[in-house]
Amino acid sequence: MKGRLGHFLVRVGAIAAKEVLHIRRDPRTLYMALVMPVVMLLLFGFGVSFDMERIPLAVADRDGTGASRELVDAFVAPGEFALSHRSGPEEAHELFRRGRALALLVVPRDYQRDLARGAAVSLQLLVDGADPVTANQILAKADAIVRSVGQARALRAGLSGQLPLRVKVYTLYNPEARSAEYLVPGLAAYLMAIAAVLLTALTVAGEWERGSMEQLFASPVGRLDIILGKLLPYLGLGILQLLLVLGVGTAVFDVPIQGSPLMVFALGLLFLVGMLGQGLLISVVTRNQLVATQAGALSALLPSMLLSGMLFPIENMPLVLRALSYLIPARYLVHGLRGVMLKGNGLAVLWPDLLALALLAAAVLAAATGRFKRRLA
Amino acid sequence: MSGPSIQALGLTRRFGPFTAVDQVTFEVSRGEIFGYLGANGAGKSTTIRMLTGLLAPTSGEARVAGFDVARDPEAVKSSIGYMSQKFSLYLDLPVSENLLFFGGAYGLWGKELRLRVDEILELTGLRALRAATTGSLPGGTRQRLALGCAILHRPGVVFLDEPTAGVDPVARRQFWRLIRDLAAEGTTVFVTTHYLDEAEYCRRIGLMADGRLVALDSPPALKRTWVPERVLVARGRNLAAAASALSGRPGVAAVEPFGAGLHLRVEPELWDAVSVHAALAAGGAAEVAVEEAEPSLEDVFLAVVGRPQPGAAPAEGRP
Repeated sequence: MKGRLGHFLVRVGAIAAKEVLHIRRDPRTLYMALVMPVVMLLLFGFGVSFDMERIPLAVADRDGTGASRELVDAFVAPGEFALSHRSGPEEAHELFRRGRALALLVVPRDYQRDLARGAAVSLQLLVDGADPVTANQILAKADAIVRSVGQARALRAGLSGQLPLRVKVYTLYNPEARSAEYLVPGLAAYLMAIAAVLLTALTVAGEWERGSMEQLFASPVGRLDIILGKLLPYLGLGILQLLLVLGVGTAVFDVPIQGSPLMVFALGLLFLVGMLGQGLLISVVTRNQLVATQAGALSALLPSMLLSGMLFPIENMPLVLRALSYLIPARYLVHGLRGVMLKGNGLAVLWPDLLALALLAAAVLAAATGRFKRRLA
Repeated sequence: MSGPSIQALGLTRRFGPFTAVDQVTFEVSRGEIFGYLGANGAGKSTTIRMLTGLLAPTSGEARVAGFDVARDPEAVKSSIGYMSQKFSLYLDLPVSENLLFFGGAYGLWGKELRLRVDEILELTGLRALRAATTGSLPGGTRQRLALGCAILHRPGVVFLDEPTAGVDPVARRQFWRLIRDLAAEGTTVFVTTHYLDEAEYCRRIGLMADGRLVALDSPPALKRTWVPERVLVARGRNLAAAASALSGRPGVAAVEPFGAGLHLRVEPELWDAVSVHAALAAGGAAEVAVEEAEPSLEDVFLAVVGRPQPGAAPAEGRP
C-alpha cells in the first residue's frame, strides 16, 4: 500500500491488531466488557425492582360486615397486598417498627350502612413512610383499589350519580408500570458507560507505564493513529456488549423494542464512541493506570447514574444539575433508548439525541487527540 | 544520502534551571559505531531523545539522516531505529507479534512485512522462539528482539540507549556481534553504554560529564591523550606497605590496588618497570614482578571524569 493514507491505515491497523491480541490474552478485559454488564444487568433488573407485590397490610375492621370484608378482599385478592394482621390502629407504630406491616387500613364503623345510604365514607390508610418509593406505590395501589370498589358498588346499587366521577388514569407505554421497562434502557447506558470508559482508560496509560509509548513516539506512529487504533477494537467489543445487554433486556426482562432496532444500534454506537473517547482522554491526561481507573470509574459512573435520567427525572433537578446534564452523553442515550424501545420513536423525534451524542463523541475524541503530547517533556 | 549521518551543533537542552545537555557538537559518519559514554545523569539519554525527535532542543541544532530534528522530526522518525533504555516491547505478546506490530508501525504490511519479519528472526537468532511469549525470554534475548524491532524498516541510523544494561556477558557479546554486522552493512549505530569493555568495539567514543561532551576520539587516541602516563601493573607480596612509600614521590600520578596487585600510573620520563621494581623492593615488597600495561578505557574514564572541567576547554590544554 502506497502513499500517506496507505501508511496511515497500515499503522492504525497494526495498533488495532495488537490491541486485539492484548484483549485476547487478558481475560479480564473480556470479563469487564461482556460478563460484568450482563451480571450487573441481571442483578439490577431482578434486584432493583420498583414493582411491589404482597405488601404486608394490617387491617382494623371496625365494621365487620359483608361490605367491609369485600373491601379487604379487594386489597388482598389480586396479590398486591397480603393480610398480615388484624389489629387496631393504635398498634400501627408497633407493626411498622417491627416491619410486620407497611400499611394499616382502618375500615370505620358503619361502613356498610353509610355506603348503602350513599353517604361520604372515609377510609383511613396509615402508611410506613420510611421508604418513600414504597409508600408512594402503596398509596397509588390503595387509591386504585378503593376507587374500583366504590365504582363497583355504585354500579350495583344503581347509584352511578352518587359517587363523584373521577378522572381515570391510564399509564401509557409501560401500562403495567413495570420498572424493568423503565430501568433497562437506563441500565444499558450506565453499564456501557462504565465498561467502555474503563476499557480505554487503561490502554494508553498502560503504554506510558510500560515505556512503549516512548518507543511508539520514536516511530512514525502519530497521535491520531494511536487514538483510532485503540478505539476500533474496543468499539467492536462495545458493540458486542450493547447487543448482549439489549438481548438480555429483551429476552429476560421482556423489554420491547417498539421502534427500529437500527435506531437502537445507532444510538448505542455513538454513545460508545463517546465513552471510549472519554476513557482515552482520561488515559492520555493521567498517563497512569491506577489514577485512570479511578477517574474513569467516577466520571462514567456518577453522571450516567445520577444525571442521565436513569433513576431521577432530569426535570426535577436543580437548574445547575439540569444544565450539566446536557453534557452527559448518557442523558441522550437514556432518552433515545426509552423513546425508540418503549414508544417506537424514529428519526423524526430522536435526531436531537443522535446529533448530541455525535457532537459529544467528536468533541471528546478531538480533546483526547489534542491533549496527546507526542514529545516526552 | 551524502554527508554525516548525525550532526549535532551546539545541541543544548535545559529543564528549568538544570542544563541536561550543554553545547554538544559532534558528527557521526555513515556506517560508524559511535559510543556515547558517561555516568548516570550525564546527559546521554537526553541527547538521544533530542536526536530521535522525542525531545525538542532548547538551542542548537541537529541533523539526523539528513533531516533537521527540530523542524522535521517526522522525517527523522521514519529514517531511524530506536531502542529506548527501558525495555518497552509487549511482554504479553509472542515474539513474532511484537515484530509484526512494529513493522506495521513503520508502514510495512502484507507479504513484505512477513518476509522482513522472517529475515529479522533469522538475523537475531530468534527463529526458534518466534511463538514464545516475550515475557518468558531472558534479558539478552529480549534485547536482541528489541533491536530486531528497531531495524525492521531498514533504518540508516539506529540509536541504542544502554542496550546491554543488565545482560550477561555472553549475551552481551552476541548482541555486539549483531551491532557490528549492522554497521558493516552501512547502518550508523549510536550507542550508549555503561560497560567500558564494550566501548572498545566503537570506532569513536564521546565522553559525557555533567551535560558536556568532554572528550571525543577513537579508543586508542583517547588513551594516548588522556592517559599519557606509563601504566604499570605490579604483583608480589607485601605490596601495600611498599605502595605507600611510592605514592607521593615525584612523577607518580596514581598508585591503586588492583586485584591482588597494584595499578600504577607514572611519568614515563621519570619511571619505568625497572625503577618501580627497585622502589617497591626497597619499600619492603618481596617477589615483585612489574610489567607495562595498555591503559584501559576505564583509566580514560577515571581521568576524564575525575578531573575538574573548568569552562568549555578541557583542563591542562588537553583536547
